[in-house]
Amino acid sequence: MKRYDLIIVGAGPAGLSAAIEAAKKGLHVVVFDENLRPGGQLFKQIHKFFGSKEHQAKVRGFNIGKKLLAEATQLGVEVQLNATVTGMYLDKEVIVKKGDEIFHFKGDAIIVATGASENSVPFKGWTLPGVIGAGAAQTMMNLHGIKPGKKILMLGSGNVGLVVSFQLLQAGCDVVAIVDAAPHIGGYGVHAAKVARCGVPFYLSHTIQSVSGDEKVEKVVIGAVDSSFTLIPETEKTFTVDTICVAVGLSPMSQLFKMAGCKMDDNPKKGGQVPVCNEWGETSIKGIFAAGDVAGIEEASSAMIEGKMAGVCASEYLGYCSSAEQAKDLENMAKDLDSLRQGMFAIKNRGKKIETTMEGIPISTNLLKKGFLSDADIKRFSPTKKIAGVHPVIECTQNIPCNPCQDACVRHCIKIGKDITALPVVDTTKTCMGCGLCVAACSGQAIFLVNEDFSSDYALITLPYEFLPLPQKGEKGKATTRSGEILCDAEVISVKTSKAYDHTALLTMKVPLAMSEKARFFKKVKSYA
Amino acid sequence: MHSINDRNKEIGKFIPAADDDLIICRCEEITKGEIRKAVHDGMFTVTEMRRYLRCGMGLCQGQTCAKLTKNIIARELNVSPSTLEPATSRSPMRPIEMKILGKEEVNKNERD
Repeated sequence: MKRYDLIIVGAGPAGLSAAIEAAKKGLHVVVFDENLRPGGQLFKQIHKFFGSKEHQAKVRGFNIGKKLLAEATQLGVEVQLNATVTGMYLDKEVIVKKGDEIFHFKGDAIIVATGASENSVPFKGWTLPGVIGAGAAQTMMNLHGIKPGKKILMLGSGNVGLVVSFQLLQAGCDVVAIVDAAPHIGGYGVHAAKVARCGVPFYLSHTIQSVSGDEKVEKVVIGAVDSSFTLIPETEKTFTVDTICVAVGLSPMSQLFKMAGCKMDDNPKKGGQVPVCNEWGETSIKGIFAAGDVAGIEEASSAMIEGKMAGVCASEYLGYCSSAEQAKDLENMAKDLDSLRQGMFAIKNRGKKIETTMEGIPISTNLLKKGFLSDADIKRFSPTKKIAGVHPVIECTQNIPCNPCQDACVRHCIKIGKDITALPVVDTTKTCMGCGLCVAACSGQAIFLVNEDFSSDYALITLPYEFLPLPQKGEKGKATTRSGEILCDAEVISVKTSKAYDHTALLTMKVPLAMSEKARFFKKVKSYA
Repeated sequence: MHSINDRNKEIGKFIPAADDDLIICRCEEITKGEIRKAVHDGMFTVTEMRRYLRCGMGLCQGQTCAKLTKNIIARELNVSPSTLEPATSRSPMRPIEMKILGKEEVNKNERD
């Protein structure tokens, strides 16, 4: 039986961050992961992350994964893949299945960062081939390069449902609808808005009534539900689809803790059964720690900080750092974590009815029901004053912890301030030079450059564009509204790509001047062979 | 768990429903109706249900249906799902062939 100072189960954002922190303090660390590739869910996350610089904001998830893995390896962390921890016992002993053999290991401390599994929801026909988890769809697309289907209905409007819907569109699938039994969209408004402007309709207070097909999914019937989630008769709508993606939440995979005898708690706010932990992730058994989704469903950004905390605590527990050093580290990490746990979507605000932003502006209900901002919302959130020349227009209307736009602008045109959940404000006293860095930096794709002084009849709109093949300069297509409706003719003036934009192309289109406040997406009409 | 161990709790008669034929545990092919009926047969805990019907005991070890089963039992008992103790967690956490489970790497010295 081999012994390590620290055994970490799970090489996702929490596990790798914990490994890095512990290895820095001199611990001999091994990380086991049942998957062929490390990084957990990070390697499927092709979108840019929210947060601030400290939280790796505007970096795409898979690049964060690469960075963590490189750092861990450099620090001498042993990452064992295809190694499934199948049991955890008294005295911190684990058994690991590798290939066709079982191995025993003992850790002086153990951090379990096994993450979560997808929830399912049963409806008539849910066992038909073609009904898959949204996470499964993401794995197929982003890791294996396989389209999960051609015509897809998404069940669930949380961030997973919204982000995966956008990625399905990027992969060239047709997303026919996003359906949620809840009366409001669960995920970030900016994620909803980028799907809505591609023309995907939202059906809130709706659920799947049945899915049918001979041998696989061919048809889905949805219906409206009342406030007690009971189907309302004669509200059925039918869609022809070949795939149903289910994104109805996650459950912590916490069985190892239970097996080892840790005190457990069934907490619906945390997604299900979680180990009872102190604020740094230590369980009821000294030297066993939890980090990431397994301790309560949150996000990769917070999982990384929780991992770091557990790594530091394991180091202190084994005497690799003083408690004074630990306290100092934890204080900084707690600050980082706290700044992520703010805003309208913070756990502490879950279930609360929020009516205004922290700035006191009434929130957009259209965004919560339909996925896009109404014209009235735009008037409320954007300054009415006309700005001459090219300038940013920011359609970010919810308080979420994110501020890369502020850092992106070298002219300091965009202000958020110290509190990163505050809404960005355009400083009209500064002059925009139209570099577009803010457009590319916005993880929510909610910043546009508008130039209403291009000519007497036309305006230019620059928008973030992440679909391939990229339209060509001079190409004629259609401009669409925020809801994806075709608005008018549009001509591509330029398509800029740059390393600094990190694969977000900046598409500038020319639209009639009167449309400058409405045109927010470019729809191709030319067919590509 | 302790609160629902009271077997005198009156839960009424089993009333058939339209979706009783819905499969909940796919590995063992157990339906919603079977689970609901089993509650009326006296299976008030997830552990009892697993032993009685084998739901959640198949290849995926309840990864998909554990929560669903728990919710169905809770609804039938008219209690909150979080008052029901989840099933016991045992090794192996993932399906493993018996030949692998029996093939432990043993230190040579220990073997002699």
